[in-house]
Amino acid sequence: MNTLHKKLSVAGACIASILSAQAYADYSVAIAGPMTGAYASAGEQIKRGAEMAIADINAKGGVNGQKLKLEIGDDACDPKQAVSVANAMVNKKIVFMHGHWCSSSTIPASDIYNEAQIPMATVSTNPQVTERGLKNIFRIMGRDDQQGGVAGAYVAKRFAGQKVAVLDDKSAYGKGLADETAKGMQAKGMKPALRESITAGEKDYSGIVSKMKAAGVQVLVYGGYHTEVALILRQAQQAGMKLMVMGGDTLSNNEIVTAAGGNADSVLFTFAPDSRANPAAADVVKRFRAAKVEPDGYVLYAYAAMQLFQQAATTAKSVKYNDLRKALAGGSFNTVVGKMSFDAKGDLKVPAFVVYQWKGNKYEAVK
Amino acid sequence: MTTFQARTHTVTLTERLKDATNVALIAILLGIPMIGLHTVDAGGKLMVATRWPWLLAFVATMFFGRLALQFAIDQFKLKRLTRQRTRTLELATPRPWLKWLGYGLLGFSLVLPIAFSDNRYVVDTATTVLIYVMLGWGLNVVVGLAGLLDLGYVAFYAVGAYSYALLSTQFGWNFWETLPVAGALAALFGILLGWPTLRLRGDYLAIVTLGFGEIIRVILINWTEFSGGPNGIGSIERPSFFGLPFKPDSDDGATFASFFGLEYASEHRVIFLYYLILVLALLTNLFIARLRKLPVGLAWEAVREDEVACKALGMNVTNVKLSAFAIGAMLGGFAGVFFAARQGFISPESFVFSESATILAIVVLGGMGSQFGVVIAASLLVILPELGRDFSEYRMLLFGAAMILIMVWKPGGLISRREPSKVLAGVEK
Amino acid sequence: MGQFIQQLINGLTLGSVYGLIALGYTMVYGIIGMINFAHGDIYMVAAIISVTVITLLAALGISAVPLALMVTLLVVMAFTAVYGWSVERVAYRPLRTAPRLAPLISAIGMSIFLQNMVQLTQGARVKPIADMMPGQFNLFTFDGFTVFLSYTQLMIIVVTVILLAIFTYLITRTSFGRQQRACEQDQTMTALLGVNVDRTISLTFMLGAALAAIAGVMVTIYYGVVDFAIGFVAGLKAFTAAVLGGIGSLPGAVLGGLIIGMLESFWSAYYSPEYKDVAGFALLILVLMFRPSGLLGRPEVEKV
Repeated sequence: MNTLHKKLSVAGACIASILSAQAYADYSVAIAGPMTGAYASAGEQIKRGAEMAIADINAKGGVNGQKLKLEIGDDACDPKQAVSVANAMVNKKIVFMHGHWCSSSTIPASDIYNEAQIPMATVSTNPQVTERGLKNIFRIMGRDDQQGGVAGAYVAKRFAGQKVAVLDDKSAYGKGLADETAKGMQAKGMKPALRESITAGEKDYSGIVSKMKAAGVQVLVYGGYHTEVALILRQAQQAGMKLMVMGGDTLSNNEIVTAAGGNADSVLFTFAPDSRANPAAADVVKRFRAAKVEPDGYVLYAYAAMQLFQQAATTAKSVKYNDLRKALAGGSFNTVVGKMSFDAKGDLKVPAFVVYQWKGNKYEAVK
Repeated sequence: MTTFQARTHTVTLTERLKDATNVALIAILLGIPMIGLHTVDAGGKLMVATRWPWLLAFVATMFFGRLALQFAIDQFKLKRLTRQRTRTLELATPRPWLKWLGYGLLGFSLVLPIAFSDNRYVVDTATTVLIYVMLGWGLNVVVGLAGLLDLGYVAFYAVGAYSYALLSTQFGWNFWETLPVAGALAALFGILLGWPTLRLRGDYLAIVTLGFGEIIRVILINWTEFSGGPNGIGSIERPSFFGLPFKPDSDDGATFASFFGLEYASEHRVIFLYYLILVLALLTNLFIARLRKLPVGLAWEAVREDEVACKALGMNVTNVKLSAFAIGAMLGGFAGVFFAARQGFISPESFVFSESATILAIVVLGGMGSQFGVVIAASLLVILPELGRDFSEYRMLLFGAAMILIMVWKPGGLISRREPSKVLAGVEK
Repeated sequence: MGQFIQQLINGLTLGSVYGLIALGYTMVYGIIGMINFAHGDIYMVAAIISVTVITLLAALGISAVPLALMVTLLVVMAFTAVYGWSVERVAYRPLRTAPRLAPLISAIGMSIFLQNMVQLTQGARVKPIADMMPGQFNLFTFDGFTVFLSYTQLMIIVVTVILLAIFTYLITRTSFGRQQRACEQDQTMTALLGVNVDRTISLTFMLGAALAAIAGVMVTIYYGVVDFAIGFVAGLKAFTAAVLGGIGSLPGAVLGGLIIGMLESFWSAYYSPEYKDVAGFALLILVLMFRPSGLLGRPEVEKV
């Protein structure tokens, strides 16, 4: 190596260290998701959960005697920004990533974490996330095909003999979920009366609502986010329709209650079992509520992701990629959202989905 | 023209205070509904909450900000007036410092990955800058040289990206094989769009191109069998170093690392990609610089300057515009191929209108027709939001404000040179 | 048959909303010959303000619909007009003599700025309001399909027609309208004739913003849910509508809006909602191929 190169790389390293301003003694762990943009409320939940978990772990002395430091990345659910965030995180020498939130961000970002050998735990539900043979991904929630299977079977049973429309919002998440739910319905011998896609971000769905009304649809299976569901419900009510909605985990966002203007009680959705009632989480839930945070949606999952890291790193006695990955792949972990262990692809071994229904401004499991 | 003109007589403080008070009054009106009042979700319905201290702070900021700004402007104008009296008329000379700055930048871009070899974030961001530089140069042919407003440039970018993604995942084509094909395809799309619409006036052309960009995007989202729909296309073959892949260990043959006896590092690919786009961008630049001197390039500029005169001289204006459209589209296609190769995953979400707006902003901010301005503007527009990652909430807000400010400050762009490439000998401008 | 009539009503309502926003585009274009890219975001700002005002009125216990509606309209129009004025003053006026693309870029910057400002000051969450004008006319029932026209839909259609009439009168028959058209033809000459060009342009922007405000209030009441990101899509559609009808022509703007609205409704009903935007833009390109200045636009005379 010539001296010029040395000088340059030293200079570069100096600038880099100033840029990333690292405290080398700590382990940096990261979360990434939509902190801004249309889904910012989900990002907010992830942030709350992770911050509380980090504070708790550090209060108990950290991991392997090291304190944890949290890095937060904002991808606004845009794939290009997700790649940028991923590179920034690799640079910050993180040892573990909880993210991203949108499947369309998780997929391109995971390639970068995989190359840089950083293990990640994600709540993205699109099957593609773990189907690409990457060894560093662990999914701490079920997959859309499982979610869709549960939802499809439930719809076929409860609404037998009624007309069901299946819509999605053309997002990777929404379309995948709607397709899987339709499959699950057909497996139980129920055919959708309508199968369409709508454009998210618009306000006027009266066209598709009238179409459903003309087709005599009583149940809507929807793959997508809560804003559009709220609008469709409002417009269906105007058109004098009684519409039940069946959706996915994103409908657990309590914005839907206000947005649907009192129609949210007809919304059902599948979501992982509610851990707020979990005895293991009782203490944490109490502290969240004391801090004026309702631990619904993804809050406890973010908390659990950090627990996952802590337990795996403690077992492996290191945070080197190979040790940590082995520990994660082979271990079984007790978290606030229940017991977790992973199969060869990195999916949960025992995923569970429960059907919930909104009642007022809370959701309850449907018996 | 403006109401608050800088007057030649010295401005009294009372006048200044009056002016600032007016601004503060406007600020109150603007602030009340947005800052003073806001709605919060209170258990299933909205409630209005107030933030009067915030409003007060905002109004005060506006008041004193205006005072300070006006004062600064006055000082500046006074200085300029005195300067102008002493200055003799200068002829517009080509700026040699620009040339040197260009060479300096080129040198910097060559050593950048070596200097930051252990910082992939910097190299990666620089790669993004270069993609935008290339896109900016491509659009510059259409907007800066031929003077056609194109708001749907991202369509050609998408065509290039999807060509590579599909050809490589379906038929196993490699990067270099796809590059010319994708460029040709994008150019074809450019001709398809341009042929029926180039008769339209500027603003009409703008909305048509915008519509075309949206059409391409909606088709990509909905035609799932063809493009994978919203799931996009993943696991795209990355470009290899003359057949040596960048992998930790490969079962078949040598990898880049093993061939050169290096320890595998994921940074190798990042650096290789950077040099690849650098080469592509430099080739683009040379290509355009040559074109500008050829008859076709001169014809573009002639049409931009005076279409009616060109028609009167018997030029086929439509063909001239079409060639600009096709070449601009082709360059966009090349950039798209590289984008797909670098991301390894593409989906329609990467090709939205705001992307077109960003590329256009790069061209206009840089100064239309200026190759070097594009580099500066692309660096600005990519690095500004990245710098803001730490205060991410205010990132885009400041970005929007910066766009307005730069335009107001330099309406012709940062490096404004729209002089024709060729002028009649002996004519002094 | 029932569905057909219903979709017609849906399309008329949606088209009227587009038409209302398109009117603002066309007015501003008519005076300075420039696309006001931030117009969609002015409409978004108006919608957000109207949520605040409606919520406030409900909290104060003003529940009589006509009164609440009038107060909301007036207040929102006033505040939005100030926004319109400021946008012109900050982002466009300094660029009046600049190259033609400069104001376009500052407009795009303004659009980004307004969106993020609202997101910061009002939050990213969607803003719902309670149904302000519940109730509808059930027109007739055909094959078990009840066709309805809600009060809100009727209001939107009627308001659009009335506003079109008022503004057409204003532009063609009043001295302000004459000054405005003069500015469009030749600003320098107009100024020499003693017309205050700055003031005319400012007023036009304020009127355009007031139109956007009316659209914003209507949309808030009709859909009941508003957020900071609605400006872009609405602006794009309205802009398309304005160009389709012939930019600079007021009836053209409303006609264009109605055509786009109808096309979207019927396309979703009888084909599929997936490609409705493609249909809209394809129609635009087709129309412009045969009528380069839009449906009702005047052909452009090339100045040499």
